[in-house]
Amino acid sequence: MEDLVKVLLGGLYSSVSLILKLLLIILPLTISYEFLKLKEKSYLGKKGAFLGISKEGLIPLITGIFVGLTYGAGIIIHSIRYSNLSKSEAFLVLLFLSICHAIIEDTLIFAVIGADESILIFSRFFLTTLLTLMVKVTLKKVFLWHKLGSKWS
Amino acid sequence: MKEFVDPLKKGLLNGLSVTYTMVKVIIPCYVLIEFIKYYDLLRPVATFFKPVMRLLDLPGEAALGLLAGFFINLYAAIAILSPLNLSPKEITVCALNLGICHSLTVETPVTRKTGVNYVPLLFLRLFLGLFAGWAVGILWKIW
Repeated sequence: MEDLVKVLLGGLYSSVSLILKLLLIILPLTISYEFLKLKEKSYLGKKGAFLGISKEGLIPLITGIFVGLTYGAGIIIHSIRYSNLSKSEAFLVLLFLSICHAIIEDTLIFAVIGADESILIFSRFFLTTLLTLMVKVTLKKVFLWHKLGSKWS
Repeated sequence: MKEFVDPLKKGLLNGLSVTYTMVKVIIPCYVLIEFIKYYDLLRPVATFFKPVMRLLDLPGEAALGLLAGFFINLYAAIAILSPLNLSPKEITVCALNLGICHSLTVETPVTRKTGVNYVPLLFLRLFLGLFAGWAVGILWKIW
């Protein structure tokens, strides 16, 4: 019985110290998220268009990649619903985001328990970009194919 | 000055609410796993999940962490994975899998509210997460 109490207290102690470590990462991030959200409009770059996503789509995209789906939900939902984004473009944005979001936070909290952070960041970003590109090309082909189909029928 | 103080305050409050979530999730999960370990109940769980987890080259008990991450959130996953003493490679495999696919109960509704079809995205996350975890495990060995 005494052993069990010792083990449980040990677990309590380790979990509190884990929370403190995570807190050191989370607090600076949640604060910088708010500043990033304020800058929302200004990162409408001059060049735009990344992976077939236009300038307008970059607002939810960039917010999501850094801030995440939970804290960025407001901006993401609003900027997709009340914009002129085409359906396929909105799908591409959400496709990218559902795989790759809150990339800094997710990576750092796993680094706390011993994961390799560079592998995490690069493979996730690379994989997502590749996949989005593939889906974009496919969507375009399907669209063209439909057009051809309607001409022929 | 206000432009600076307001976001600072809001960020701090958000951070504190995350901390509250962490306290709620991490402490019970962590203590529960220590309890389970103490009574050696982890072994039957590990045996049960072993066939599936072998594909990812992970020990069976890591399945608990993955499931917690998929359905609850990443903090629950970390609380469960941390006491299991996994190797850096195993943690990285879990982390990549979970980074792609996590908190489905919270994030799927967000996707849904944008008006985009969320069903293919949900399955994509599950599949791609497992695939990426598997792939990084193999690459780690070759390296």
